[in-house]
Amino acid sequence: MALGSVSSEVRLKVAQCFRSLSSSADHTDVFDALETLNSYLDDGAESSSTAAEREEFRRTQYTRTLRVLVGQLQAHWTHSLSAAQRSKLWDPLFLKGPPDQALLVLMEAVTQLRPSAGLDRLVSVTERFLQSGRLADLLWSFCLRSVPPDSAQLRETLLARLAALPDLTANRLHPNNRPLFTPQRFYPLLASEMLAALERICRALRDGVDCSLTFVAQTLGKVCLQGHSGLVLGVMAPRLAVCTRSDVVWQRVSWRLLQDVPERCMESVLTGLLQVADSSDTFSRIAGNLVLTNKKAQFVLTHKVLLLQYKYETQVLRTVLGYLASDRDRRPLLIQVLRSVSQAWANPSAVKHTPQEQQLYVSKTLLLAASLLTDAELQELRSDLLQCLLDGMQSHLDSSAVGIRTLGMVVGECLSARMDLNGAKLKFEYDQNEETRELLSLMTPSVCDPDPDPEPDPHPDSEAADGSEATRESSQVKSPSQRSKSDPDSDLDSDDDLPPYDMSGDVEASRAAPPRYLRDCLEALISSDDSQRVEFSLRAAESLVRRNVFAAKEISVQMTKVLLHMEDKFSVSGFLVLRQAAMVALTAVDSVPVTQFLTTEFYSLNYSLRQRLDILEVLALAAQELSKPAADKITAAASELTPYQSNSAASWRQEVEKRIQNKTKRISKGSAQPGAGAAPNRYAPVAGYFFFPLLRNYDKPEVTFDLLGSDHLVLGRLIHTLGLFMHLAVNAPIAAQMGAALLDFVWAVRYHADQTVRRGVLFAICSVFLSMPSQALMMDLSQQLMETRTWLADVAEADPDADCRSLAVQSLVLLDQNLKKQLQNPNGLSVES
Amino acid sequence: MSRPAPCPVYTLRGAGAPLNTLHFRCSGGDSPLLFSGSAKGAVHIWNLKSRRAERVLEGHGSNSVIWVSTLQTADTLISQGRDMRVCLWDLTEGRIEALDSVWTGSVGFCQCSVLETSPSSYLLAFAGPQTEEIKIIEMPSKNPVCTLTPDTKLGMVMCVQLWKPDSGLGPLLLAGYEDGSLLLWDVTQRSELSRVKAHPEPVMCLTFDPGRLRGVSGSCEKKLSSWMLDGQNHIQLQDCVTLVNPGISQLCVRSDGRLLASAGWDHRVRVFGWKKLQPLAVLHYHTDMALSVAFSDHQDPKQRLLAAGSKDQRISLWSIYNQNADTC
Repeated sequence: MALGSVSSEVRLKVAQCFRSLSSSADHTDVFDALETLNSYLDDGAESSSTAAEREEFRRTQYTRTLRVLVGQLQAHWTHSLSAAQRSKLWDPLFLKGPPDQALLVLMEAVTQLRPSAGLDRLVSVTERFLQSGRLADLLWSFCLRSVPPDSAQLRETLLARLAALPDLTANRLHPNNRPLFTPQRFYPLLASEMLAALERICRALRDGVDCSLTFVAQTLGKVCLQGHSGLVLGVMAPRLAVCTRSDVVWQRVSWRLLQDVPERCMESVLTGLLQVADSSDTFSRIAGNLVLTNKKAQFVLTHKVLLLQYKYETQVLRTVLGYLASDRDRRPLLIQVLRSVSQAWANPSAVKHTPQEQQLYVSKTLLLAASLLTDAELQELRSDLLQCLLDGMQSHLDSSAVGIRTLGMVVGECLSARMDLNGAKLKFEYDQNEETRELLSLMTPSVCDPDPDPEPDPHPDSEAADGSEATRESSQVKSPSQRSKSDPDSDLDSDDDLPPYDMSGDVEASRAAPPRYLRDCLEALISSDDSQRVEFSLRAAESLVRRNVFAAKEISVQMTKVLLHMEDKFSVSGFLVLRQAAMVALTAVDSVPVTQFLTTEFYSLNYSLRQRLDILEVLALAAQELSKPAADKITAAASELTPYQSNSAASWRQEVEKRIQNKTKRISKGSAQPGAGAAPNRYAPVAGYFFFPLLRNYDKPEVTFDLLGSDHLVLGRLIHTLGLFMHLAVNAPIAAQMGAALLDFVWAVRYHADQTVRRGVLFAICSVFLSMPSQALMMDLSQQLMETRTWLADVAEADPDADCRSLAVQSLVLLDQNLKKQLQNPNGLSVES
Repeated sequence: MSRPAPCPVYTLRGAGAPLNTLHFRCSGGDSPLLFSGSAKGAVHIWNLKSRRAERVLEGHGSNSVIWVSTLQTADTLISQGRDMRVCLWDLTEGRIEALDSVWTGSVGFCQCSVLETSPSSYLLAFAGPQTEEIKIIEMPSKNPVCTLTPDTKLGMVMCVQLWKPDSGLGPLLLAGYEDGSLLLWDVTQRSELSRVKAHPEPVMCLTFDPGRLRGVSGSCEKKLSSWMLDGQNHIQLQDCVTLVNPGISQLCVRSDGRLLASAGWDHRVRVFGWKKLQPLAVLHYHTDMALSVAFSDHQDPKQRLLAAGSKDQRISLWSIYNQNADTC
């Protein structure tokens, strides 16, 4: 009954105040009303209202009061308030009442009001609301309330407003937004307010008061889910790390906080925390045994971060695995992780179909996990690991991508070394690069664990370093002087007054002489057992072929055959390069017979893959050479033969040129460069000989050569080479036929499982679009083009290989350019119509 | 840019056989002479003014002549052949007469060494009939002075050099052996003073500069080994000079102690500064192994020559570093 009377009394009084606020013309009435309202919020002893009245006001009338005040923003009295009066009477009503209601009203008003002086006032109040730490009060108020009656919906709204405050204000105030409301300022503020609330909770717990962390956890989750985990946790994690180091209450609060994070937000909170935690130690102090109690957390930490995503830094992997390894209860999870990761690593389908970056990521995880195992655990897992190692190595080494092969080798080496297979160790030869070094370094436990106590000043350290550097410098300064001191002694006894002659002619003596005739050279290559002679012949072969074209044409095919079958019996240095150069020279000098020979041999029996690849390389290089303007080559050769004459000729020319320039007056500067001299394209007439024979037999599997089956490496090279021929044949009359044939050819293998083949196909398509006359392209191939287009779009989107994707995009762009050119060209249209 | 490699001043052809050894005698009054010993057993006497062979001495049957030398005090030519004999020739007043011969008994290629102790007598050191044996006799009386045999097996004697130190001690002898060892003998005491292993392969040649107490030795490898004698007559190995091609057949230091020349198996003659063994020039003319090298003993430094004899049957003469630090 008494309660009812209090409530009605308060209601009456408040209604009276509202009336005077809304209707009174007299400012004193208004001020009285405001003071009355303020008195309900004043907790001080001199307050005129009773505690019950205040409680009632806060509970039922506060929101209404604020709404009325907001509604009266345009009223006359509001404008006539002085600054002092406002800060005494008006602002406190927003800043002292229950913060949740105040925030809701403020946000509601900000979203509804038009830009005006009133809105500015509200924004300032909001700013003061944030600055005066009301958010911490808000969070704290929810921690104490055991079961809030008006719960779910109100909470939800409040959370949404709280988390989205920067968005709401930005939408509304766009050009005049306050800096405090930007995400960069607001979220760190929110984080520190959360920390303040947590601090109060700790204090309360020590005093034996029960608190609920649900609301803080929900806020944290919500903010992280919206993608601000970096900003928020960047502030919270370091503080939590410090506080949880020694304080048990803080530890419990921190663990509880993470446990109370709603399930759908768990992932974003955990990944955010992983990224800002500087070590696994910190992470495990903050998160406790969360991974054991929370299913979602377990899934994220043991599966999603390790196997499904691959965007994180290595440090994150270290943190996760270190976290799993650092506690006895969590170690079974580490073993489980190692099992699943090793299966993922060894999976042949994954090796084929996942991007290389992900495979690198999985490899890192595998190595890290293996390095964290104890020897006993390793023994237990040994058979599993060995199986994984064998399967995985095989599928990695089968891959045609160099990176993946290297990955397999490095992981194989590291794992075999870790497992200690009766002293047997795998050892591969691969090129060291950034990636492999990082992988190898993962096996050695990280020494760079940040020191457990970050508090001590790092200055003494750096000073010591400075000092040592200084001493080092001084010693460096000293040493030259010492040297200069010792110098004069030796001066007495030097041979300095005897100037040496040119001794560049003093080279290793060679016992045999290089052959002077091409036939001698060939003879030596065929039959000689004298390593010296063979080496000289090989070295001389290219220049002999080029110098004497007629002699070369007589024996070109025979010599090509000899070179193709030649083995490096004497391990001549640079054997492959020399042999290739000689074959290229032969092909360039006598194109038709040699290409006929080589293209036939490419599909014949009894060649190794290496030889077939050699054939392709030689053909490609020869085509490149032929397609370059020949004039360059000749002048270069001439200048090589008679450097003196050509030099003098050039200087003579320059001299005359200079004189002419001096005598000439120029009104405007045109292009000073002389146009490139015209030269016949030597490739265009023979392009067909290079190209078509290679298309002939690709689908006839031989016993030793199955192009469409296991020899996909050669297939990839073949298609790439064909693409190159196509590219070089630009402007040649035969280009249209070549393009059509090439498109037909690659159509059959466009979905090949091997990425090098797909890359080759896309390269070939690119070169077709580049080299084929656009008219021919549109008219002859219009049907195929549509299909090609859809296929390219598909590849550009979905191919696991990054190179393939970018090549597909490239092709699409080229195709579009071709289309545009064709449509803009009126001639083309008329022909088409 | 350094100067281009030098060319020979002139060449002497017509010996008709590889030239194993060369010796100048230019200090005499009349025209300067060059003696050469060929693989066919002939000793040619070349007149360096007319650049012709004045006379040919055939004293060793057709066995290869491996060493020729003259005496400063008497007009005597000494030649050593593979017929195990050392012959003495009288050259006075244009005569060429075989005076005497000494039987050495050595089947090896070790060249003798001669040291004039007084105007009328001189010492001759040569490899003896036994493997490691060196014999020293006093000439012209042919009185044996001593026989030096090391107490361990070192293989054949490859090269010897006699000299008399300034300190007034008796004559000393340096000898290189087949296993690469270098021994210093005291002739009067008949004792071994010092021993080092200078090369892993046989010592092919050595030369010693008594003024600076330094020497170098060559072998069939790619380096020259330099060494020096300390106050206690111990041989101290010093740093090596690495060559481009292996094999050295002869070494020679110019009398003024500034240049060292080496005859290489790679057809080239190399010239080094003697003080620091800094490479100075590579003389490339011959088309076969260079077998011998010698500096002339002209009174006038500007006329000094370097001669190289080769397996290609030619002798090339070079004028190099004759003016003070100037061109040839």
